[in-house]
Amino acid sequence: MAHHNKEVIYGLYDDETDLLKAVKEAKDLHLDIMDVYSPFPVHGLDPILGLAESRLHIAGFVYGSLGTLTAFLGMTWVFTKDWPVIFGGKPYWSVPAFIPITFELTVLFACVGMVITFYIVCGLGPGVTNVYLDDRITDDKFCIAFDTATVDGAAAKSFLTKTGAEVNHKVI
Amino acid sequence: MNQYTFSGTAKTVTIGAMIVGVVSMLLTWFVGADDLQSRFWSNFLHNGTFFLGISMMAFFFIAVCVTAYAGWASVFKRVWEAMSAYMLFGFIFMIIIALATYFHWNHLYHWADAAAVAEDPILNGKKSFLNPNWYLFGTLIIVGTWVAFGRKMRSLSLAEDNDQGVDFAKHRSMRKWSAAFLPIMGFSSAAMIWQWLMSVDAHWYSTLYAWHAAVSWFVSMICLTILLLIYLKSKGLYKQVTTEHMHDLGKFLFAFSIFWTYMWFSQFMLIWYANIGEETGYFLHRREEYPVLFYANIAVNFLIPFFVLMRNDTKRKLGSLAFVSIIVFVGHWIDFFLMIKPGVKITRDGHGHGDAAAHGADAAHGAHEAVGHGAHEVAASTFEIGYTIPGLLELGTMIGFLGLFIFVTLTALSKAPLIAKNDPYLDESLHHHT
Repeated sequence: MAHHNKEVIYGLYDDETDLLKAVKEAKDLHLDIMDVYSPFPVHGLDPILGLAESRLHIAGFVYGSLGTLTAFLGMTWVFTKDWPVIFGGKPYWSVPAFIPITFELTVLFACVGMVITFYIVCGLGPGVTNVYLDDRITDDKFCIAFDTATVDGAAAKSFLTKTGAEVNHKVI
Repeated sequence: MNQYTFSGTAKTVTIGAMIVGVVSMLLTWFVGADDLQSRFWSNFLHNGTFFLGISMMAFFFIAVCVTAYAGWASVFKRVWEAMSAYMLFGFIFMIIIALATYFHWNHLYHWADAAAVAEDPILNGKKSFLNPNWYLFGTLIIVGTWVAFGRKMRSLSLAEDNDQGVDFAKHRSMRKWSAAFLPIMGFSSAAMIWQWLMSVDAHWYSTLYAWHAAVSWFVSMICLTILLLIYLKSKGLYKQVTTEHMHDLGKFLFAFSIFWTYMWFSQFMLIWYANIGEETGYFLHRREEYPVLFYANIAVNFLIPFFVLMRNDTKRKLGSLAFVSIIVFVGHWIDFFLMIKPGVKITRDGHGHGDAAAHGADAAHGAHEAVGHGAHEVAASTFEIGYTIPGLLELGTMIGFLGLFIFVTLTALSKAPLIAKNDPYLDESLHHHT
């Protein structure tokens, strides 16, 4: 994440139900939320924030299909063209024997591919320094952050106080 | 609306289906008959075990949810309770088959022939399990136990409705009964599947067979649950059953279809790989003589639920759920067909008591019925309607059993409020989100 010298006003809530309530209220007041942080996925948050459905699973399907093809065609090539070996009197092209490996490679490709895609999309990974607002959002606090460039600072502060958050601000 | 009344079209249709079933079974007995009545008895066994298993699995799933503290399904658990009411009828049907086996009215099982067992070392070795006495008394004891557990749980659930305070004593009692039922069901269902279904091929055995058949039951049960809920919702009932509940049922349908494939393939691949004659015969025979059903079984029961239900939104839409449920339900019925019929046919032909004239008459019947499919097929191969593929009489019998199943289910459903209002997990279920 690049540095923009943003001044961020954020509130820390003790409970995810408080967070959900506050996000709903902020939406009703048309306060533009910069982002919401929580130590774990909060159920029902995505639709309230109006986030689009993740397309990660489509990528997963593509990677999985790639794994299926790699395994199946790879084994087909190896056992019929490159180095045909007779195993237990079975034909070279023994489809049932290929299925378990095809399955494993499908799962492997889908998982590893999705993890890598997720890291790239989220800007995570080794060597990347991410700025985060507060240590406690990785522990037990739930956070709503406002960017003062888009939201009036005073309004954000009064909103956070009113909904029971511990208000802080930080320049990132 | 917390009360279902079973009347009107639903009653007419289910009774009509039962009449179709009775007529089909009578026709099978009198018209499509061979001298051993194997077609009639194998249809009876096929549908008797299939629907008994479905209702047992409905009860099993209640027991699983109670034991696992799973509350999501509490809102519609009455549907499963109602489905498990059919266990009593399935019990009666299996007793009829067991009596018929005991008194040699049928010849479904090679091992029931004492003379054949005496000169066959393999059947002789299995005699302690595969004999008419145990078949009858095992069915009586084990299915009787299932029925007793089912009725006990149902009565506890109904009694819970009348509770005034919140002491959850009934639920605690249910928890004990459920926990006791799970291991009993685990072992006894396997024993029943071995003796009812696997012993049709008396020489052959497979350790995975029982799981494969039990998962078939389970998937079919989920299909019927989805279809029944969609029907009840279309009547304006069960408004509390939301997309979230249907989504979870869809996940079960998806996951257990894959699990079924896993079972089917594991069984197939180990036997294919080891290639031991007495094991391979089972699959070789099915692949050579029943190629369409053999491959369709996998395609229908794996590929369709896998690709259709893979996406999130197809599991949440009633249309796609109903589509997959109907296809997979028929698919698993065909899976049972393929488990039973080939073995029955071999037993019938290998040990026919009838003379050549009787068999000649059979062939004429077969040819007559198969006219629509082209007589040359009948002449060229061992094609026989009712064995090689399900004929109209098989479909009619299935419709009859299905009609009875739905009739019993809806009758039981109409006898109690649709929502068990004192279930401790009801609130959780009403607010279920996936």
